[in-house]
Parts: sequence; C-alpha cells; structure tokens
Amino acid sequence: MSVLRWLTIAVMAATFAGASASGAQLRDNTLYSVGADFKGFDPADSGDTVSAAMISRVYEGLLEYAYLDHPYRAEPRLAEALPEVSADGLTYTFHLKKGVHFSDDLCFPSGKGREVTAEDFVYSFTRILNPKLESTGDWIFINHVAGAKEWVQAGNLTVKIPGFVAVDRYTLQIKLRQPYPQLIWVLTMPYAFVVPHEAIEYYGREFRRHPVGTGPYVLKDWRFNYRVEFVKNPTFSGQTYPATGELDDRAAGLLEDAGKPLPLLDRIVDYEISEFYTVWQMFLGGQLASTGISKDYFEKVINPQFELSDALQKRGVRLYKTPNMDLWYIAFNMKDPTIGDSTDPAVAAKHRKLRQAFASAIDVPTYCTVIHNNRDTPANTILPPGVAGYTTKPYAYQFDRQRAKKLIAEAGYPNGKDATGHPLRLTMISAGAGSTDARQQAEFFAEQLRAIGVDLVVQQLSFAEYLRREHDGEAQIVYAGWIIDYPDGQNFMQLLYGPNKAPGVNFCNYQNPEFDRLYEKVLTMQDCPERSALYAQMSDIAIADCPWALMTYSLSYGLFQPWFQNYKPHAFPYPNAKFYKVKPH
Amino acid sequence: MNDASTNRPESLWAIAWQQLRRKQIAMICLAILVAYAGIWLYAEGNFWSAKLRGVTPNYRISNYAIRNQPPSATHWLGTNYAGRDNVSQIVQGTRIAFEIALLTSCIVIPIGFALGALAGFFGRKIDTGIVYLYSVVGSVPGILLITAISYVVRGAVERSPAMQTVTRYADSGLLAVCIGMGFTGWVGLCRLIRAEYLKHRERQYVLAARAIGVRPAAIMFRHIAPNVAHLIIINFSLSFPGLILTEAVLSYLGVGIANEPSWGAIINDAKQRLWLGNWWELAGATAAMFFLVLALNLFGDALRDALDPKLRTAETKTA
Repeated sequence: MSVLRWLTIAVMAATFAGASASGAQLRDNTLYSVGADFKGFDPADSGDTVSAAMISRVYEGLLEYAYLDHPYRAEPRLAEALPEVSADGLTYTFHLKKGVHFSDDLCFPSGKGREVTAEDFVYSFTRILNPKLESTGDWIFINHVAGAKEWVQAGNLTVKIPGFVAVDRYTLQIKLRQPYPQLIWVLTMPYAFVVPHEAIEYYGREFRRHPVGTGPYVLKDWRFNYRVEFVKNPTFSGQTYPATGELDDRAAGLLEDAGKPLPLLDRIVDYEISEFYTVWQMFLGGQLASTGISKDYFEKVINPQFELSDALQKRGVRLYKTPNMDLWYIAFNMKDPTIGDSTDPAVAAKHRKLRQAFASAIDVPTYCTVIHNNRDTPANTILPPGVAGYTTKPYAYQFDRQRAKKLIAEAGYPNGKDATGHPLRLTMISAGAGSTDARQQAEFFAEQLRAIGVDLVVQQLSFAEYLRREHDGEAQIVYAGWIIDYPDGQNFMQLLYGPNKAPGVNFCNYQNPEFDRLYEKVLTMQDCPERSALYAQMSDIAIADCPWALMTYSLSYGLFQPWFQNYKPHAFPYPNAKFYKVKPH
Repeated sequence: MNDASTNRPESLWAIAWQQLRRKQIAMICLAILVAYAGIWLYAEGNFWSAKLRGVTPNYRISNYAIRNQPPSATHWLGTNYAGRDNVSQIVQGTRIAFEIALLTSCIVIPIGFALGALAGFFGRKIDTGIVYLYSVVGSVPGILLITAISYVVRGAVERSPAMQTVTRYADSGLLAVCIGMGFTGWVGLCRLIRAEYLKHRERQYVLAARAIGVRPAAIMFRHIAPNVAHLIIINFSLSFPGLILTEAVLSYLGVGIANEPSWGAIINDAKQRLWLGNWWELAGATAAMFFLVLALNLFGDALRDALDPKLRTAETKTA
C-alpha cells in the first residue's frame, strides 16, 4: 500500500487507525482524529493509508484481522467462518452471515438497506477488475482468480468472471488459477470490501462521496479538505469486543470491554489537517487523544533514550513505538531511455551502473538523522524486518561517494557530465507539495546527487497527482514507499513482478525473467523456510539489477492521552477504530 | 549675460529629485534600498559565479554537524536545519526577492501598459473587451489565481524538454511564480494607464497630431506615452513590496521557490522550530523583509508625490 510520508499526521492517523481523540469540553462519546489528503470512499481506490482507514469505518469484507492476536490471524467478518478450501487449494468456499444489511440510503428503492448476498461480493470483486475503473487494487485478483485476466483482456463486461461464483444467496466460491495462500490476507483489505450495485448506479461518479456499506459507522457529513464526520450505523450488529488476546492484554486493560457490542464510540470526526503545529496544539489542549510526532518536535518530546519526555509522562501521556513494516525507496523507471533497461546489453549495463551510482551517492544514515531524526533505519533488503525472508545482509550500495563517482563515470557520465558537457539532469517525483519536510527531503537528495555532478530535479506533487503519475509508470524516478498489506513478503515482491508493470503496482516496469520465475514459484508456496530463502534470493536479484535505491524502514511514534483506551498497535489497523474507547475525563 | 543653461526649463525628473532630496525619510529609505541593492548584486555574483563554474554555491553547502545552532560569532543568525548559515540564506533571499520583483515587473509593465493604452486610446469595442478582461482577472482572488497558474506553469516547465536550458539556469518555481504574478498583476497598471489615455486622447496636442495625419500607433507611443511614463515608475515602486510579500507567502505555502532560500521558504523552515525557542531564523528573514518592504513603501510614496505634477501643484498652492 503506497503511503504518504510527508503528512506525518496523516500517516499516524492511519497507522494508529484514527486513534485519536476526545475533547475534554465535549460531552459526547466521540473520537476526534486527524487525517489529510483523503480521496474518497471508493474501496476500489483505497491504496493509501488514509483512504483505507476512512473506508474501513463504513465498509467491510469477508474477513478481518483478529484485533488482539499476534501473530496476525484472519477471522471471519461478513463470512460465517473461515473458508472451506478444496484439497487442491484452488477453490475457496465462503458461507455468508445471514441478516447483514447495507446501511439505509436513498439508493435503495425503499430507502432501507437490503441484505448482503453472495452476488454483492461477485459484483464488488468484479468491479475492481474492471479496466475502466483503473482500480489500484486489481492486483489482488487479476493473476490469481480463474478467468480474471482473460476477462480483463476481452473487455466484455457483461460476461461473468468464472472464478467468482455465487452458488446460492449465502454461498460464495472463489476459484483460483493456481494456489494462492495470500487470498486470505487480501480479503481483509479494503479493496475486497462489499459495495451495493444500487449505490454505484444511483450515484455514478459521485459514489465516492456517498458510501453505503455494512460497517460500524455511516457517513454523516464530509466537507472536503476540512472534516469527515461519522456516526454509529444503527443497522450494524453482530460483532462484539474480543474476549481473548495475548498474555499481557488483560493486564494492559485491553480486555475490559470483552463481549460488549461494537462500535464502542458513537461518533468519529476526522479533521483534515496537514499542519503539525495545529495538531500538536490540539493534542496538548486535550482536543485530540492521539498524535504522531513530526521530526521537528521529536527532540523535545522524545529523550535521547527514545523515551517520552518527563513533562508528557507526568500528564499520563503514553508513547507507542510501532514498526511500520514498510520500505521507502527510490524507484527508477526501467522504460526510461536514460536510466532504464535496454535490449542492448552494453547500454543496459551502463544504465545499471548509473542507477547503482545514484543509490551509492545517497548518504542514507545522514538522511535518517537530518530528515527523520533517527526514527528510521537504513534499509538493506527489499523486505523489512519482521517479514519472513528478511536478512541482515548489508545493502550492496551503501553510501560511498567515491564509488558513486566511479560508477557514474563508467556509465558514460564522467563527473556527472553528459555528452553536451552539462550535468546529467534527472527528474524525480515525490508527494507532499507544500510540505516543509518534503521540500527539505528534496533538497537533501538534490544535494547528494550534486556531489557526484548530477542535477536532480525533484517535482513535489499533490498526493493525488503523485499517485496518478506513479500509476502511469511514466515518471523517470519516483520516491516511493510501501507499507505491507498483509504479513507475507509476496506483498513487496509483487511490486517488482514483470507482469504487474504499469499501470499495475510494478510502476517502475522492472522485468527480470529469473525474478519472475521465482515469484511464480513462491506464489503457490505456504510459509516455510524454503519460501523465505527464495524471498531472500529474489531480493538479491532485484538489488543487483537496482531498479530501486533502498532508503529506509520506519518506526511510528504515537502519543496517546490517558483517557484513550483499547488501543493496541497493529500493522494493519484500518478497521480498528470500532474497538477504541474514550473514558470520561 | 545670462547662462543659457539656467534658462532651460528643468525636467520632470530633475524637479522630482529636488523634491525627494528635501524629504529626509525618503533619503534614508533610498540609502536602505541602495544597501539592499548592493546585497542583491553581491548575492547574484555569488550565485552566478558558482553556477557558471558548475560548483555548488557556498550558501547551499550543508554541514550537518552544526544543525540548528543559535547565533554565534561565526554564524550571526545561527544555522538552519541543514547546518547552513542563516545570514547567507537571508542574503540569497534578497536576491530571490529582487529577481522575482524585477522579472514580474517585466511581465506586468508591458501587458498593463499596452492593454491600458489600447483601451484608453481606441475606446469602443477594444475598450469594452479589455475592461471585461481585467474585470474578470481582477475579480479572482489573487493568491488563488497565482497559485493555480504557478502550478500549471511549473509542471509544464519541468516536463518540457524545450525548457531544459532555461531551467538549467533558473529555478522552475521562480519562473512559475513570476509568470503567475505577472499574468495577474497587470490589472492595476492597466486601469491607471487606460484612465490617463482616456484623458490625453482629448488633449489638444493629440488632436493636433491627429489633424496632421499622424498614425495612431505613433500618437499612442511617441506623443502620449512620455506624458504617462512616470506612472510606470510610481506603479513599479509601489507594487515592488507587494510582489516580494506575495512571493514570500507563496513560498511559505510551498507553491513558490523550491530549491533556493527564498524568505518565505526560510520562514517556512523556521516555523517548525519556533516552538523550541529557535527564533533567530524567523527573526532574521522577517526583519530583512520588513525593512525592505518598509523602505520601498515609504520611498514609493515619496516618489509618487515627487513625480505626480498634480500633487506637486497642490503642495505649491498650499504653500
């Protein structure tokens, strides 16, 4: 899932799943949180963390993560139970819960939400594969579900995809092309949430402003770029707070609400604020129950031992440090005539050296210190720590300016100069237009490249424009991040799988037959040491080709007011707001 | 015997200079402006010498070991987030401010003058069309329009291969802001020039020129233009501070200059650390902007008084 770095609070809002706030002056049972750059309520377009969190307030899918359980485990949500899987691993059968209704909305003939059926899932899954929609989530099914790829290529939308079958009103079957163990995980993602066809037909292009789901909340009011307000969905039922968790969850007070019907909060208000100073003042003033920490506040809030400062500890504020299980990297467009791949091996080798020079030229440890206040650590493999397949092998292109200069000379740009004698000019896009952090980051990269004679132009774009350009696969270089969608290294490796190239998630258009072969092999394997070894091997192949310059893994620091309850860090926290509670204070 | 030169009527400029010299505050402001101009030229020299030699200018070199330092003997206004000296950043900010104001004026003045002259001189449909145009442009909130134009121009400039040479030497954000402000800032001058042309086209010297068959273009630019040229100077001096402030606001909002230390960008950086008590970066950039804008405003007022014959007549009568 691509993520928006600059709007730290947005990331925090999503990372902590809107784990924010209640105002002391407010008497109702409301969570006030912050987000920014929210794009709308379309599950087909839920590829960023902020949208995923907002959409998960209203929509639901067949499965979700068990909130308190680690290691992560999927449990049924709209399904009665986990699926029955055929012996060959190719057919998954889900029995749906009966009596689950969409929320009441004008799109239904009587205004009353109708019951969810297996056909709705067939419709919703087919919808994200519709090429006209250009969903960023088609990858979850397209290469795996029987007939999906052919359906997309044929372009005949009236025909049904053979892999999605509504056996009866409450039975859904997903038929696969080959075993796909990750199916359980992808079905927890917002892309796989169920939407009613009536809403899409009724609202048309305005659908993303009018969510109609089965989730714990309904949208009450959305003022674009200002605030989004949700209230409890009166027709939501059937889910209670978990009664079991990890060993120390009871001591941490996380099981006090066991068995209580969800959601625990009556109302959620998400403010779209991208200015951290405002968020910080709201947090200190008790209006918000949680916040991330921007880099410039970090030293004041967190002491050199990376613990909370005394002043905040005295107020009862709690600090959570959560590994994001993400990777930040600089992706080179392999179709680009200057820096990409080539059919001529000599040219391809030169371009590879140019990419390697770029990667070696960036002082990542200093970048972590200056731009991220040591909250991040330099990345060394394609997979972040905590994901099977991660190794501690040192990164092949650690900062070495002399080596970078040598490589760039070998690439045909002595001292960074091109054939005309001018510095080689490269263009990178990044998100965060208008953000101070993004500008400082852009300056940092430009300066590092200038030291080897390269003129790096960084275009800072709005997040929506950035995603569009990234999706197009035309940008020369992209500063990108990926936060894991489910606990499986395949989620990262798919970003480099040849057939996923733009407009798929492999927007850098990397293609290596050996990498693709191994990817296809691991895809059908269950989690085992052999699979982890293959992931490590794939990481080595990709690093040698250098379609990405690896930057950092990040750690989120979140602060929570003492009255904010039931929060437990989670790598996939999007639907978790329904578990949160605000104590009277 | 009389000296012939003493009988020659004094020019508008000479009279204006005499007027200005009598005003102490105007002279102080002028001295401040000259000092700023000196800083600007120094900064330009610094910038271009590095640019042409293909090296990183000294004010852009980071020293991460001394980030966010307080003022000291070596760094009078401390250092910024990248360990760069704040004084050198503010000095370069002066360059950006002058470049922005001058480049924008190069767009504003020709457009404003030409359209104003055409509307005022020809009247009728041309006048209606131009009045309609500037009413539309003028009715859109300036910052919004400038922001929109800047985004479009910047994207186009950065993506266009044809602009590669230009952007090698000039910041794309700077060009975008200049074009954005240039295409929105001409309305005031256009109105002023139009009104003057409306007045002058009925004057006897214009009627006489018409009677002997002088072409309209010659009347507009050779006969009338010298009589309204002082308005350009006045407009320029009074709009200069506005342009500097607008650029600072745009850069503060992240729309303006991206890769150079504009005052707005410095303030944007500084605000992040203000609550830690790091006041010096903000204070330095704000003071630099304050004194320049104040001096420009006061001097611009004095210049208007000196150059506007009507005001001078009124003063004389009063005296």
